Amino acid sequence: MAKVSFHHNDGSVDVLDVDPGTSLMRAAVTNGVAGIVGECGGQAMCATCHVYVRPEYLDGLPEISEDEEEMLECTADPRDEDRSRLGCQIKAGEGFDEIEVDVPASQI
Amino acid sequence: MTAEAIAARPVPTADWVTIEDLYRNPFPIYRKMRAEAPVHWVPAVNRYMVTSYEACHTVENDQEIFSANETNSLMKRAMGHSMLRKDDPEHDVDRKSYGSVLRPKAIKEHWNAIFQANHEKYLARLKAAGPGSDLIWEYAAPYAAENLRLIMGFHNATQEDMQRWSQTMINGTGNYADDPDVWAASEKSYNEVDDAIDEILPYLRKNPDSSLLSGMTSMPIPLEAIRANMKMTIGGGLNEPRDVLGVAVWALLSHPDQLAQVLADPALFPTVFEESIRWVAPIGMYPRETTRDTVLEGVQLPKGARLGVVVGAANRDPKVFEDPESFNINRLKKPHLAFGGGNHYCAGAWVAKASVSGIALPQLFAELPKLRLDPERPAVDEGWVFRGMTALPVRWDAK
Repeated sequence: MAKVSFHHNDGSVDVLDVDPGTSLMRAAVTNGVAGIVGECGGQAMCATCHVYVRPEYLDGLPEISEDEEEMLECTADPRDEDRSRLGCQIKAGEGFDEIEVDVPASQI
Repeated sequence: MTAEAIAARPVPTADWVTIEDLYRNPFPIYRKMRAEAPVHWVPAVNRYMVTSYEACHTVENDQEIFSANETNSLMKRAMGHSMLRKDDPEHDVDRKSYGSVLRPKAIKEHWNAIFQANHEKYLARLKAAGPGSDLIWEYAAPYAAENLRLIMGFHNATQEDMQRWSQTMINGTGNYADDPDVWAASEKSYNEVDDAIDEILPYLRKNPDSSLLSGMTSMPIPLEAIRANMKMTIGGGLNEPRDVLGVAVWALLSHPDQLAQVLADPALFPTVFEESIRWVAPIGMYPRETTRDTVLEGVQLPKGARLGVVVGAANRDPKVFEDPESFNINRLKKPHLAFGGGNHYCAGAWVAKASVSGIALPQLFAELPKLRLDPERPAVDEGWVFRGMTALPVRWDAK
């Protein structure tokens, strides 16, 4: 299990225990975390699971693929060159046991 | 109270629903059904119709219980077994064969220039037909068909072929009455598309370009899957941009305040696009089949239940959208289900947005001064499985 914290703009936090191999997007959608839409089901096709990874958790995350890079240019809230990722491309157990992300104000 | 907190109840029957009423205007029917239960058995449609946002969203995100691989699917007969009727992992193999052809980078590098040229060609055709002519048949349909023809790489066909293939095979997928004439027309197109693919693939191997079919030549994908997926794309890639374009123009021309707002701020055209497909989803319903007994938003469903996922109804669910029956570009932004969701999310979504809200809509309104509905001949919106404008006569002033 990995511990994933979704920080919202109003200061509230959703903390989930996530099975290895499950993406942040899937975990958020399954558990009804507000602000993560995940329209395309995890194909890096829609940019609606955008998250800002807190800096201390960036090391060790998988590289940004070409598809993810393309979608990060299509996010509703502005991209942060260092912290922006798609939640569908970050999976529990792949580069972290614990991660904290900020949820953007808008995904669409 | 959540679905889990109440005992699962049997599915109500909506025997009062008729196909004719749905075709004319499904929205009052959806409103009545949704208020009663999220799922109904509808004898006239021979399916369980899922009309609430929550239930549609649940179905889209659970292919283990709600399979796209429907038994006795008319779509499989009309178009072959495409990715739209497969679950993962089989679906994923087919989906990957589309590569990056329909994604934003390719649109920017290759397709926007083609959309622009096609817009100019068919706007000239509309202008030549003159005020009082039909925006759908003089502009939106040929524009969508020609864009799709070039994206797919059918250099050996015409936009008229694309329109005929698309409509006749779509009629096949909806041929519940088993009309032999509908099957004959559908099968003729099926064979013509296969012949066109067989002819163009060797050409594209020697003369590769940015098209879908060209990309297929280097993908490890069987010919049978290519043929089925191309037919599905001809069906799904033409009516949808055509119909969102028609509905968006009709909606703006019927709501002068919102039209004035958009003309003053053309950056709002993407919002117009999203609100138009929320308000009238071009694909209003698509099928799924249960793989086991289950409970959907508190309602019992047996194994093998044939579902109609009515995203056209989900998009007007008052639990999600305030004043859902109104067209309102200023509403609070919420995710709609018009592109579907989960692994079957529309592969052409970015193409539709670029061609319709990036090019067609802003340029139509810029180049046709005082564009307006024809007061003498009414616009007609029809359909439910597929819904759009079947007539949109318009007038404008000379520049």
